[in-house]
Amino acid sequence: MILNLNYTRRDSAASTSSEVVSTFLSLLEEKQITPSQFAHLHIYLDWLQYKENFREPVSVVESEEGEESQESASPRMDVRIDTRQIAPGTLRGTVEQAIYPEKREQCKRGDRVYLEEFGSFRASIAWDFNRLYWQRLKDWESVTGRSYEKELPGGSSDGHQPQAIADSVERFWKLLNELDKQGRLPQEAFILEIGVGLATRAALWLDQFCALDQQHGTNYYPRIRFLLADYSLASLERSRPAVQKHLELCSFIALDALDPTRTLSFLRHKILYVHSSNMYDNLSDEEVVWRDNRIYWVEARAYLSAHNTERIAHECDISAADVPRMIHRLLEVGAEALPDRRKGMAFWMQIWKAMRLEEKLVDAIDLPEATFPAGLSSAQMEDILKDAPSDLRFHLSSGALESFRNTLPLLHPRGYLQVQDIFVTNLHEYSMGFYGPGKLGGSIVNWVNGALVREVAERGGYDVHFVPFPYRAGSKTSTLYTTRRE
Amino acid sequence: MTLPILPTTMVGSYSMPSWLERLKTEYFARRISRHDLDEIHDSAVRSAIKDQEMAGLDIVTDGELRRDNMIDYFLERLPGIQIDRSSKKFYYDFYDSEVIGKIPMASLGLVDDFKFLLANTEREAKICITGPHSLCKRVRNKHYQSEEALATDIARVMNMELKELVKAGAKHIQIDEPYYSGFPEDISWGVKVLNILVDGVKAEIGVHICYGNRYGKPSWEGSYRYLFPAILDAKVRQLSLEFARRGGEDLDLFREFPSSFELGAGVIDVKDQSIETPDIVAERIRKVLQFVPAEKLVILPDCGLHHLPRDVAFGKLRSMVQGARTVRKELEH
Repeated sequence: MILNLNYTRRDSAASTSSEVVSTFLSLLEEKQITPSQFAHLHIYLDWLQYKENFREPVSVVESEEGEESQESASPRMDVRIDTRQIAPGTLRGTVEQAIYPEKREQCKRGDRVYLEEFGSFRASIAWDFNRLYWQRLKDWESVTGRSYEKELPGGSSDGHQPQAIADSVERFWKLLNELDKQGRLPQEAFILEIGVGLATRAALWLDQFCALDQQHGTNYYPRIRFLLADYSLASLERSRPAVQKHLELCSFIALDALDPTRTLSFLRHKILYVHSSNMYDNLSDEEVVWRDNRIYWVEARAYLSAHNTERIAHECDISAADVPRMIHRLLEVGAEALPDRRKGMAFWMQIWKAMRLEEKLVDAIDLPEATFPAGLSSAQMEDILKDAPSDLRFHLSSGALESFRNTLPLLHPRGYLQVQDIFVTNLHEYSMGFYGPGKLGGSIVNWVNGALVREVAERGGYDVHFVPFPYRAGSKTSTLYTTRRE
Repeated sequence: MTLPILPTTMVGSYSMPSWLERLKTEYFARRISRHDLDEIHDSAVRSAIKDQEMAGLDIVTDGELRRDNMIDYFLERLPGIQIDRSSKKFYYDFYDSEVIGKIPMASLGLVDDFKFLLANTEREAKICITGPHSLCKRVRNKHYQSEEALATDIARVMNMELKELVKAGAKHIQIDEPYYSGFPEDISWGVKVLNILVDGVKAEIGVHICYGNRYGKPSWEGSYRYLFPAILDAKVRQLSLEFARRGGEDLDLFREFPSSFELGAGVIDVKDQSIETPDIVAERIRKVLQFVPAEKLVILPDCGLHHLPRDVAFGKLRSMVQGARTVRKELEH
């Protein structure tokens, strides 16, 4: 048995890991599992920092077996344990239910209401819930009484931190000043903010830029063209009052964050500064496993436990059999899916809270044959994985990579992209922590695979570096800076 | 061979296949031999020539597929330039290089490349050389008193090479000087050095000046106005400039500053992967013809096609040729 300790929190590691070992050893001693099965066990101990997440305390990730494994008497079994969720004294029972095939099958047949077929997590219904949340954020906030920012660690967005904004303003002013001295100051200095929220940051940024410009007497402010972009028209409308003082310089643009260049192609190579905050971590994502020089795709399917389905149905005055249909209705029309809107909101929140993901590994293929998100070739992936730990599960950050790649063409030759988000900057980190998916309010949160972003950038002629966010103690945020490389 | 009116050509580089990129990087990582890489290059160059012929170009190049980038291929051959070979990870990256003594006269060995091109096509052939101004901008100068002095010595060495190329049959030579656009304040001495480079070289010489194409992106923005009037002193036949991506605003300069230059007009945007239709190309050519007479006009892409996928590069060249043919027919009537 191989035990993978994927976290370094001393508070729970000592007791849980020893309990796990003794549990499996006792199952072996009691002949509940064979020595061969024991030898093929891979136990992964995680500590999920997101209290709301998609995992059961103990879950088995099955593999679609390759020929080699089929010949083996005891195929490999991956057991993932969330040491935060597992209650003291319940480990053995939970493990038994998870690992015995007959109990597992029985559990699946009788106790799970599946909401979709197995597929890439990127296409999961979970992302439809995420979309619903952002489209109907006001509805969610009115029920919880908390703004989405309050859901963030620290209770506010790092994107609004005044000193961070002041530094950003100063950096931009310096760029304009440098271009000015070189006689290259454009008539229009374009800035793009992707994901505007309530435009709190945009307003602060413009206020501070205006003040700095006046202080230096440079008169750059009238050249500013500030593009506030968001895929939600409702968000754009909500953002307008915050920048009231600067409306003449602002444009409000509905834009797909995955492909900003499609909307803004007329500004190709013209934007001097692109900024986003807490956006990449909320773009659709998928995971892969790198093992024995092969890539395995992690497929997922969302489900509810039968118990939760019945409970929620009862609370919302619908039949349990009707729950899947009502979920799809909810995703179409929001809380109005139910005749009583208040119950519609309760239905949404309860379903989201109860949703779990069952996973399996599929399509074991040789690396050169694997297809990765655009901009990332299998040859690049091979380079990246050359020094990676074996048996590594990591995010592809497909949505973030797509957005990143489709934003770069907008950058002016001297322009830069600044992304404040949560990044994994080294693949080794994936074997030392849990990086999502988790749930934050009604949205999904996933750390972004910065190592892949950096590789895509470097091959595209950009330098990328990550700077830990220094403005809030304990912040997990980093700032990614991207500039053109000569 | 007589060229038609509105002759078509490439600026230099052709699409670099990803497999060739990989093999080049393998070579730099010392995982394949020089001999194998040379064979691979020969095959890739033949293929690039064939694509240009099939697209219908009147003047072809070797696609510059032997080069890792437009700088290092030349700096490596210049004696006196010291290169830190550990300084690059990806074949296309620039080496760190420096000059610590006077550059002696020496052959650069470019003639073999050109002979290979000649041996593999019956079309008119063009060789493209990175100019001394651009080269000196990528070298840390630890010897010369000025960049101009360094560029002048580079020009003297390369002048000898150009003459060797002419002896080998080169009739069309293109000097690439994109760094003019990055350092417009250098233009006066840049032109002086250019004239040293081409002094006594009996060929049709053009100078290509764009706004950069590193990794398929512009390195600078601005207007070609900075070139004038200094560029009027350049002893070259052709100016090759980019107009497809940037639009034709700077064409006015050819009215404002009359000259005897041919214009190599970029009518293909090499920084956009969508393939222009022949009609769009024809429209761009017609616009240029409002400022430059047809007998002084050469049709080419904005810059090299290095960063485009092969099918896109080929499609763009074919559209360019078809667009040029359309306008040729209009001019005949």
